[in-house]
Amino acid sequence: MNSSTYYFDLIFHLVRCDFVTRYKGSVLGVLWSPVIPLAQLLVLVFLFQKVVPLDIDAYPAFVFSALLPWTWLSTCLGSSGGLLVGNRGLVRRPNFAPVTLIIVNTVSGMLNYVVALPILFVMLIFYGKTLTLTLLMLPLLMLIQCVLTVGLSLIIATLNVFYRDVQHIVGVALMLLFYLTPVFYKPQAVSEDFRILYTYSPIAALIQSYRAIFFYGVFPEWRSLVFAGATSLVVCGFGYVIYTRCLPDVVDAI
Amino acid sequence: MSAVLTVESVSKRYRIQRNRPITLKESIIRRLTGRYDRSNVFWALRDVSFSVEQGRTLGIIGHNGAGKSTLLRLLCGLGRPTSGRILHIGQVSGLLDLGGGFHPDMTGRENLVTGGILSGLTRRQVLAKQEEIIAFAELEEFIDQPVRTYSNGMYLRLAFATAVHFDPDVLVIDEVLAVGDSRFQQKCIERLAAFRTAGKTSIMTSHDADQIRSLCDEVLVLEEGRVVMAGDPKSAIQCYNDLMRQRTEKRAAQLSGGAAQPNLKVEHGSRMGTLEAEISAVHLCDSQGRAIDTLSNADSLTIKLEYNLTKHLPDIALIAGIYNDTNVKCFETAIPSARATFGPIAQHGIFICHLPELPLLPGLYYVNVGLYPIDWNYTYDYHWQMHVLHITSKNRTLSGDSGVVSLRPVWSSLV
Repeated sequence: MNSSTYYFDLIFHLVRCDFVTRYKGSVLGVLWSPVIPLAQLLVLVFLFQKVVPLDIDAYPAFVFSALLPWTWLSTCLGSSGGLLVGNRGLVRRPNFAPVTLIIVNTVSGMLNYVVALPILFVMLIFYGKTLTLTLLMLPLLMLIQCVLTVGLSLIIATLNVFYRDVQHIVGVALMLLFYLTPVFYKPQAVSEDFRILYTYSPIAALIQSYRAIFFYGVFPEWRSLVFAGATSLVVCGFGYVIYTRCLPDVVDAI
Repeated sequence: MSAVLTVESVSKRYRIQRNRPITLKESIIRRLTGRYDRSNVFWALRDVSFSVEQGRTLGIIGHNGAGKSTLLRLLCGLGRPTSGRILHIGQVSGLLDLGGGFHPDMTGRENLVTGGILSGLTRRQVLAKQEEIIAFAELEEFIDQPVRTYSNGMYLRLAFATAVHFDPDVLVIDEVLAVGDSRFQQKCIERLAAFRTAGKTSIMTSHDADQIRSLCDEVLVLEEGRVVMAGDPKSAIQCYNDLMRQRTEKRAAQLSGGAAQPNLKVEHGSRMGTLEAEISAVHLCDSQGRAIDTLSNADSLTIKLEYNLTKHLPDIALIAGIYNDTNVKCFETAIPSARATFGPIAQHGIFICHLPELPLLPGLYYVNVGLYPIDWNYTYDYHWQMHVLHITSKNRTLSGDSGVVSLRPVWSSLV
């Protein structure tokens, strides 16, 4: 049996199940997936155009280009805590690698991201932005984000089996991180003292890169991209080590 | 013949944590104060060694909590032994939790694909076998309905059908033959028998002594995580039954404060049990409600079982059976949970079992009754050959009839 075909089938099928069950019985179906980022966009646009104006040109498109990848990351990390704990039947199945669940969760988030992309394109065109060749960088950015998400999810999912505090900590951390990541503001607006928060955050670097290729139509800063890529690989490697070390105990603990 | 699976002095220890899951705070405090509760350790398996040769079927029996499931999980590579090791040649796969990964909102067909892929087939292979699996599960009509609308039996049939259509070198099965009605069980057993004749190796646990006898080449008896014996099915089952009696006697001795077992001398037959729940009287009644010990096989029989709980028990299991004088079980009926069947159990009461007809040949029979805890681990009270029932026949019985059941033959001949 060709094992790469098999794993493709396995992941593809589980992603499909995830999608089908999430939207089964709803009239709009998969169209629900962009609703949360759109609602969040409305709030942010109202706040920072009407209440505390930030004076950023084409603000909705500016925010949305960064908000979509952020939503992907935060929903995946937010749900990763329950992946091993909540799928007891699958984790305790012989010959099933629980890491599959984490990959499926990440890919599923990615598909939701892709579904929402046309809305972003419409918005960019509406604000007179031109779509340039820099968009060819998108697959690379998505790949880096996948690696990072899988790595972090592995750590969260594994540790949450032993300490249920982890998923609460993740909830709080994601909320803080949303404000510490330049999703709805320009990092240049932050004073020099705090700049370090953005240069050494792979998430901030990624979000900035997404915005560069969509909103500004320029290539992302290669140094920060290499940094984000390298950090993601290290996080993923670290996550995998924790996961493989703990896996036998995970089976006993859940 | 070479061993495909070898288990070398495997032990498995679990830490019992009273309030799982523990929090980060607790574990840091514990680590800081250096207070590890050494007493909260539970050995699920101790020094278990055995090996299985190619093409053999190994059965594992033992009461609930003896370590059977732990052992099977380790064999499937789930978790690792605390000490010892497990060596195997080829792929070990198992039916441990049926229907794991099924989603109630998806249709039977979609879940069938899930099950098939999880069992190790590619999507294409599953789709090719789809019809065969549906036919095996006998779910042609319902396959496109969501699984949440299925009955428990239908669900398990689908789960079993998707799980057995794959081809591992060693198959591990945990108690899954208790699926569906007896006809479907028979099909499952045939499937396993075919697996066996194909020269595959399998390891199974079961509570059903008959299944173990008919399917296994050798049997391992586990008790409190240790292998107490390994041998042919017949002597292993004997050993298992002896263990059950010993456990009952031990518990009875504990209950009576270390004193000798309460005197259970009876005038006829024998009685055993801890008497936490006691059968105080058994009345056999005919259709008019008169107590009898002789009954025509055209009449109906009502067994009234008076019980008395000597301590509070939330639930009990009970059985009533009719055995002939050579101790052949003619019929037995069990209530696995009296609470689920009759509602909350009073301190004293009567369980009534009505048998509308008794198609038995005339002769001497015994009504054997028993009360058990719901996990059947030992016996509260069992009456063996204590209640005699003579069956007579109003009709003249042909002297040529023999056996157990009276089937009223009508002979004729054609020239």
